[in-house]
Amino acid sequence: MTETQASLEAELARLHKRLKREASARQEAESIAERGLRELYQRQQEIELLEAIAVAANEAVGVDEVMAFAVREICRYTQWPVGHVLYADCQKSPSCMVSANIWHCSDTQRFATFQVLSSGLEFGTGVGLPGRILESSKPAWIMDVRADPNFPRAPQARLVGLKAAFGFPVLVGAEVVSVLEFFAEESLQPDGRLLKIMGQIGTQLGRVIERQRARERLLHDAFHDPLTQLANRALFLDRLHITLSRFKRNKNYQFAVLFLDLDRFKVVNDSLGHLAGDQLLVQVAQRLRACLRSTDVVAHLKADDESERWAWDECIAHLGGDEFTIILDDIRDASAPIRVAERIQYELVTPFDVDGQAVYSTVSIGIALSSTGYAVEEDILRDAAPAMYRAKTLGRSRWAMFDQMMHNQAVACLQLEADLHRAVREQEFRLFYQPIVSLGDGVVRGFEALIRWVHPRLGLVSPAEFIGLAEEIGLIRDIGDWVLQEACRQLSEWQRAFPSEPPLTMSVNISARQLNQANLVGRVAKIVQSSCIAPGSLKLELTESVVMSDAERSCQLFQELKGLGIQLSLDDFGTGYSSLSYLRRLPLDVLKVDRSFVSHMDVDEEKQNITQIIVLLARTLGLTVIAEGAETEGEVKQLRELGCDYVQGYYFHRPMPANSAKLVLQEQLERLSVGQA
Amino acid sequence: MKGIVFNLLEGVVRRDYGDDTWDDLLDAASVEGAYTSLGSYPDQEMGQLVMAAAQALKLPPEQILHWFGRQAMPLLAERYPIFFTPHRSARPFLLTLNDIIHPEVNKLYPGASTPVFDFDSNSDEVLVMGYRSQRKLCALALGFIEGAADYYRETVSFEHPLCMHRGDEKCLFQLRFIASHTEP
Repeated sequence: MTETQASLEAELARLHKRLKREASARQEAESIAERGLRELYQRQQEIELLEAIAVAANEAVGVDEVMAFAVREICRYTQWPVGHVLYADCQKSPSCMVSANIWHCSDTQRFATFQVLSSGLEFGTGVGLPGRILESSKPAWIMDVRADPNFPRAPQARLVGLKAAFGFPVLVGAEVVSVLEFFAEESLQPDGRLLKIMGQIGTQLGRVIERQRARERLLHDAFHDPLTQLANRALFLDRLHITLSRFKRNKNYQFAVLFLDLDRFKVVNDSLGHLAGDQLLVQVAQRLRACLRSTDVVAHLKADDESERWAWDECIAHLGGDEFTIILDDIRDASAPIRVAERIQYELVTPFDVDGQAVYSTVSIGIALSSTGYAVEEDILRDAAPAMYRAKTLGRSRWAMFDQMMHNQAVACLQLEADLHRAVREQEFRLFYQPIVSLGDGVVRGFEALIRWVHPRLGLVSPAEFIGLAEEIGLIRDIGDWVLQEACRQLSEWQRAFPSEPPLTMSVNISARQLNQANLVGRVAKIVQSSCIAPGSLKLELTESVVMSDAERSCQLFQELKGLGIQLSLDDFGTGYSSLSYLRRLPLDVLKVDRSFVSHMDVDEEKQNITQIIVLLARTLGLTVIAEGAETEGEVKQLRELGCDYVQGYYFHRPMPANSAKLVLQEQLERLSVGQA
Repeated sequence: MKGIVFNLLEGVVRRDYGDDTWDDLLDAASVEGAYTSLGSYPDQEMGQLVMAAAQALKLPPEQILHWFGRQAMPLLAERYPIFFTPHRSARPFLLTLNDIIHPEVNKLYPGASTPVFDFDSNSDEVLVMGYRSQRKLCALALGFIEGAADYYRETVSFEHPLCMHRGDEKCLFQLRFIASHTEP
C-alpha cells in the first residue's frame, strides 16, 4: 500500500465519519423540532377544544345545550365514539346520577342497546363509572369496562364492543352536579394529560350550571317574598291572570280566590316586636302550605301548554304585611273554598310558638268566586278584600263571600250539611209509607217506604232537599242502609200481623250513588236475611235514568240482586231513555209509570196513549205495572180501563207514618173479613 | 409526501443493500435525494424511486411498496418509540393510526391530505380496516401492517376484498392477528 493510498483511505474514513456525524446531527435536530412541533400542535388542539367549549359556555342559553356541545366536541377531539351526559338527581338523598339523555354516538344504531340501558339507570355513590366520579369528585379512567368489577353495564358494553372508558365531574363548588362519560372501542391505557384537560372542561361547564342556578335564584327572588318564600304579589297576579284566562276559555272551569288577613297581627307586632311578627308570618306560611298540600282542591291545574304550568305551592301568596292570598283552582262549587277556608282556620287554632311564647293568631278570610264573572284579575282582589273585612266584622276567625247571595246559600248549605251529620248520628229520620193498591179489588197489597227527616227546627224535610247533599258528602250509604233495614223490619212486623197471600210487599228506593257502592248486593242480602221477610216481598226501585246511564253494569248488578230472590222495579218509567233491548235483558218485575203521565190523563189524550203503550209494553215483557200519582177518580178509572195492575196516589192514600199505615191495614182486615163473612 | 417516508426508504435500502445502492437508486430515479423529516416532497419522487427499484429488482412496484412498508417498521419504532410503547399488540396500535398520522402531518402542514383509516373492531378476531387516500398506496399500508405485526411478534393474515385500484371507493382489509410462539 502506497502512502498516498493510505492517506486517501484515512481521508475517506474521516469523511465517512463526518457524514455519519452530520446525518445523526440532522436526525437529532429533526426529532427535536418534531417533538416541539407535535407538542405545539397538541397544545393547539387542546386550546381549540377548550376555547370552543368556553365560547359555547358563554353564549349558551341552556345547560343542556352546552352539555350536548361539549360531549360532541370531546368525542371529536378524542375520536371516541360514545359520549354521555348524566345529571345529579338532587331530589334523592343521598344523591345519585341519572342520564340527562344527552348523547353523542358515532353510530346510533350500533350503540342503541347500551344507550337505552344507560338512560334508564341510576348510579348511586360509588356505583359504576358515574358513581365513582360522584364519590371522588375526580376524573376516572377504566382501561376495559368488561374486566372492571364495578361496571354494571359491562354485559351491554361487551355486546356493542365498548372497552375503555373515562369520565369527569362537573362541579359547582364541591358538589358534583353532572358527569360526562366516554367510551372507546379498544382497551386503552389511562391518559393523564387528557384527564387533566377534561378536568378543565368540567370547571368550565360547572360555571354554566352555576350561572344558570344564579339566574333561577334571581328569578325566584323576583317573584317570591323573601320572608315566607311564598309567591309575591307579582307572581300571584300572573297566576291569577292565567287562571282567569282559562276560565274565560272554559266557563265550566271554576276557581276561587281566598283573601286572608291575620286577626291579631298588630297586637303581636306591637307587644312582641317586629321580629316576632316576622316569625309568626313565617309560621303561618308554613301552616298554609301544609294545609293546602293535603287538600285536593289546589294546584291540579291541568295545563294545556308549558307556560301555564306551575308548582302547586305557587297558588299561595304573601302580598305583604299580614295579608295572604290563595287561588283555588278547578273547583266544583262554592263549598270547596269554604271547606278550605274552614280548614285553614282550624289549622290556625293551635297557638304558634314565637320565641317560646304561645301566640294565638286567627285569620279572617274573604272569598271571591269566578262565577261572579270577572274580566280582569285586579277585580277579583278588589272583591275578595272587602269580603275579608266583612268577615272580620262578623268576629274573628270567620269567612265571608263577596256575593251576599252566594254567601247566604253557602251558609245554608253548610248548615244543612252539619245538620245532616247530626241527623244520622241522632237518628232524626223517619219512614213514611204510601200504600200500593190493587186496581182489581182495591186492596192494599204493599207500601212504598219514603224517607222523611224530622228536623228539630225546620220540621219535616223532604228527601228532595237532602238526598243530593247526602250523596255528595258521603252519608248516603248510612242513610240508605238505615232505610232498607227499617223498611224490612216494618214489613216483617206487618206481614206477621196481617198475613195475606201473596204477602204484603215493601218498595224501597235505591239512589244512583248507592247503586255504585261496593258490595250493595252483599249488604241487601244481609238486611233481608236478618229481617226474616220473604225476599220476594221486597222491591227495590231504581229510576230509569240511573239504570240506563250504565245499562251494562245495571244488567250485571240486577242479575246479582235477582239472585237474592228480591223484586226489581223501574221507577219513573217514561222519563228516561230506555233502550228496548236493555229493557228486555234487565231482569225486572215492575214498571212504574211516572206521575207526569198519570196526572190529568183522563183529559189529556196524549198522556193516555203513552200510558197505554207503557202498559202494553209491560204486558209484552211480562211485567207488573204500577201507576204513581193517581189523584182523581177519573184518573183511576182510566188506569183501570187501560189494564194497569196497581195504583199509588193521593186518591187512595197519602204517604203516612207507620201507625197510620197500620190502621189502614187493620181496617182493611176488618172489611175483608166482614166481606168474607 | 412527508420527508419521513423518504427517510425510511433510504434507511431500509441502505440497511439491506448498502449505501451505494441508495445513491444508485437516486440517480436512476433522477431525484435530488436531500430529504428531511421536517419537509414535504412531491409524491411523484416517491413514485420514481419505487419504479426505479422495481426495474432494478425486476419486481412489480406493489411488491416493492409492500416490502418497503414491512421493512420500515423497525426503523420507525426506533425513531418514534412513543407511538409503539403504549401497546402490547398490533391491533390497538393500528387503531391509533389516524391519531398518529394526522397530527404528524398537520403539525407541519395544516390542511395537507392524509390517508384516512376507519375501523370496525366489533369482532375480537377480525379487525376490519378501511383505507382511503388519494395516493392509493394500499400496498405500502399493508406492508406497514405486516411490519407492525412483526414488531409485536405477531403474524397477520389479511384479505383485501375492496381495492381502490380495482375501482372501489376505498380499500378494505380484513386482518387476523396471531401471536407468534417465539417469546422475545
